[in-house]
Amino acid sequence: MLEKITSILREFKGDDSLVVTEETTFEELGIDSLDSVELVMSIEDEFDITIEMSADTQSIGDLIKSIDAA
Amino acid sequence: MTTTELCNLLEIEYPVLQGGMAWIADAPLAAAVSNAGGLGLIAAGVSSAEYVSEQIKEARRLTDKPFGVNIMLMSRNAEAIAELVAKEKVAVVTTGAGSPSPYIKLWIDAGIKVIPVVASTGLAKMAQRWGATAVIAEGSESGGHIGETSTMALVPQVCDAISLPVIAAGGIADGRGIAAALMLGAAGVQVGTRFLVAHECSVHQNYKDKIIKAKDIDTVATGKRLGHPIRSLKTPFSRELYSKEYDSNISNQELEALGKGALKLAAEEGDLQQGLFMAGQIAGLIKEEQSAQAIIETLMSEAQATLSRAASWAN
Repeated sequence: MLEKITSILREFKGDDSLVVTEETTFEELGIDSLDSVELVMSIEDEFDITIEMSADTQSIGDLIKSIDAA
Repeated sequence: MTTTELCNLLEIEYPVLQGGMAWIADAPLAAAVSNAGGLGLIAAGVSSAEYVSEQIKEARRLTDKPFGVNIMLMSRNAEAIAELVAKEKVAVVTTGAGSPSPYIKLWIDAGIKVIPVVASTGLAKMAQRWGATAVIAEGSESGGHIGETSTMALVPQVCDAISLPVIAAGGIADGRGIAAALMLGAAGVQVGTRFLVAHECSVHQNYKDKIIKAKDIDTVATGKRLGHPIRSLKTPFSRELYSKEYDSNISNQELEALGKGALKLAAEEGDLQQGLFMAGQIAGLIKEEQSAQAIIETLMSEAQATLSRAASWAN
């Protein structure tokens, strides 16, 4: 899962060497509220799911939880 | 006359929204546009909730027609203003410069029609999922905060992506623009720059003069490095901002600080040196100051004429 998300994030940020952990926050990645919507759309397409995002979704770990719950 | 589903939805006569221009779109302009049959908007910008509250009261004194409030989500007052508009039950809320997800339920529950400004199909789809009433698909021709995609490319893609009414914005200042937007699948338009020169617009005369004088190539987008580009008229100050963006000796914080307050200086004081005169690429088309009513009447009669002629192409 983390691997797939890393690959989506690398494409999203245009940075092939990007490394993230579950603790990495969107803020650290420079992903604002608008970017996070685009990111969620890419993830939904990749996994063919619908994700519930909330204000509590702030880290990659939170994102993985939302994907698991979908 | 040209009416669309949007007119019924928003209880307006013409499918024309006035852009929520920060420091510029106040109660007198919003009320004038609404009285003329469009939908006027009060821009909250970075102002306080108290300011917005006074403007809502003033607009209600000036018109009994529906009007809206535009909330700039990057403002630190966004949350307080979000709660204020819910309490006041304004007819329409439009949002810009961010994701409105934390507030949409609050507004819908208050009976408010929620219309986020979107610059991508992704945000448009998400807005539909959140329960938005419509979206404003705003192309990069617009003034102020802009996205990457042009109106011509964005509007049909947003129309295909969602089932909500789509309002086209960016590059529209006459009836041809309205007709074109409808042809792209939009149910209405949002017009900003042209209303800047409305008689009822309280912006400084220097600002209006600059719009009237502007040519097609007279705008520039700055702030791309900071992740939130802004389109404004070329001035010594905007050129300076533009060049400093490519100067690696200047930090992002310094760059951010440089632009702070510059729109207010332009709007309120007409400061030709340090002001940032936000305007869309269509400024070059705008040639005269008119009342809001004359602007809307002109726009709609031109649109009607253009649309009538359009049928001849199909034969």
